[in-house]
Amino acid sequence: MAEKNYYVCTGCGMLCDDIEVESEKNKVNKVYTACRVGVAHMKDGKESAAFMVDNKPVDEATAIKEAASILKNAKNPLIFGLGTSTSETQKLAIELARKTSATLDDTSSFCLGKVIEALLNNKFKVCTLDDVRNKADVTIFWGADPSDSHPRHLSKHSYFPRGTEKQRGWEEERTAICIDVRKSHTAKICGNYFFQIPPAGDAEFIDALMAALAGKLPKTSYNFPPKRILELANILKGAKFGVVFVGLGLIYSLENLEPLIRLMNALNEKSNFHLVPMVGHYNMRGFNENLFEETGYVNSVKFEEGTVKHGPEYSIVESLKAKAVDAALVIGSDPLSSLPRSISKNLLEIPTIVIDPCETLTSRKAKVCINTAISGVESGGSATRMDGVKVEFKPVIETKRPSDEAVLKKIMEAL
Amino acid sequence: MDFGSFLKAPEIKVRVVTYRDIFQDKAMIENRFGEEYRNRSAVIKMDPGDLNQLGVKKGETVILKNSFGTVVVKAEESGYEPSHKGIAYMPNSPWSNMLVSDETGGTGVPKFKDISVTVTSAKGQKVTEIGL
Repeated sequence: MAEKNYYVCTGCGMLCDDIEVESEKNKVNKVYTACRVGVAHMKDGKESAAFMVDNKPVDEATAIKEAASILKNAKNPLIFGLGTSTSETQKLAIELARKTSATLDDTSSFCLGKVIEALLNNKFKVCTLDDVRNKADVTIFWGADPSDSHPRHLSKHSYFPRGTEKQRGWEEERTAICIDVRKSHTAKICGNYFFQIPPAGDAEFIDALMAALAGKLPKTSYNFPPKRILELANILKGAKFGVVFVGLGLIYSLENLEPLIRLMNALNEKSNFHLVPMVGHYNMRGFNENLFEETGYVNSVKFEEGTVKHGPEYSIVESLKAKAVDAALVIGSDPLSSLPRSISKNLLEIPTIVIDPCETLTSRKAKVCINTAISGVESGGSATRMDGVKVEFKPVIETKRPSDEAVLKKIMEAL
Repeated sequence: MDFGSFLKAPEIKVRVVTYRDIFQDKAMIENRFGEEYRNRSAVIKMDPGDLNQLGVKKGETVILKNSFGTVVVKAEESGYEPSHKGIAYMPNSPWSNMLVSDETGGTGVPKFKDISVTVTSAKGQKVTEIGL
């Protein structure tokens, strides 16, 4: 049998590495194995490049020169995005931030950054998705709906597959539990093990579950049936290899991670529980790790005269809100769509450079716009999967569009 | 004469929880300025009792309003059991983000999944186009 040529899908933080494609003349015609989002992502390549200044087409050199000039003239530029860039590009961006005394942040500051920071500081016991596939007998999806956000999660790793130590699969050897505020598609799969709690009811549910684990009567102000919490606690106590998949629903509902850390510790006194963050962008975790290695922080930093400052005031949200930044370089992100308009509108008052494979609301309003290759489809590199595993990938097709890495290099040379 | 037009349209307050939808994500990748993305994003999923109270049928448009913004989106029945009056659901999108508070308590994290709005019938107005 001929050896098959597999590609990595960079459509989400799972980085599925078993994708086959049919392509012709640098166009992907068919994608096999990927999910609905992955197929759309892999087919999104475009051959032609576009460089714009003030929404008018220019040549590459003009766009690079204008971008460099914006960064040079700024006292405190914001460099933001990079969740869909390779680790190589991210490291360049960190260097660029240092060089331009910039504020540097990514989307993790308003999603799972706190969780990644905690696990890099060894606050949680962790495992890989391969461990989950091979060993996990109890999995909890908490404030997470992988059926929509990471569509192959349950089939490839967390519930349905046979693993080396789980040959009887979901029918006999796995229990999937969902704790959420609505009956998501994942909750439906979990059947009777769906625990519906009210919005912002997570911290109380954690306390109640911990009481149940300790053999006490679990109580909540929203009168969740104690019998069901006791039943849940019994399943968790009996787990041989448990995993909690942490989603934004849980994280947004907690003021800080302390209740989650307490619960994971309590679970590990009774049984064996690991935590995996449900990272969305394919290399958000890579950004967190690369910046952590350089500075000891995972996001929201400001470089200044050889020092690094860190805190929420250097997050994109707070720095835009306080109008503390005077220019922005946005790489592979669309803050005008993904942030509250009440905050992102301040981006319209400063000169912005957008480096992105797609046209976005932010790119339409940018002073300089550079259309780059889709990383993972039209350019290669390496990234960190949601569980911390390093993945390398090659491009599927060729394009005339430069990679974001090549563009950043040119901007740095022009500075 | 339609005396009903002089009556103030019923108004209710709801708490909106946002969520991810794979069909909407796929539509965004294909064309974030396209009709499919708008149709799958500019939607609020409500309890049938709340829709009744507003005099709005499923598929009709409603106005969502708070001190941060106003958008017109299509109202649908959530299909969720049990009843969840006062709580509604929207896919996370530029439409929901028009309504997210800028109050963060200095944490850098907006309340994307906890949005308080008032809902009224949009009386046939079209869904808001997201521009700037």
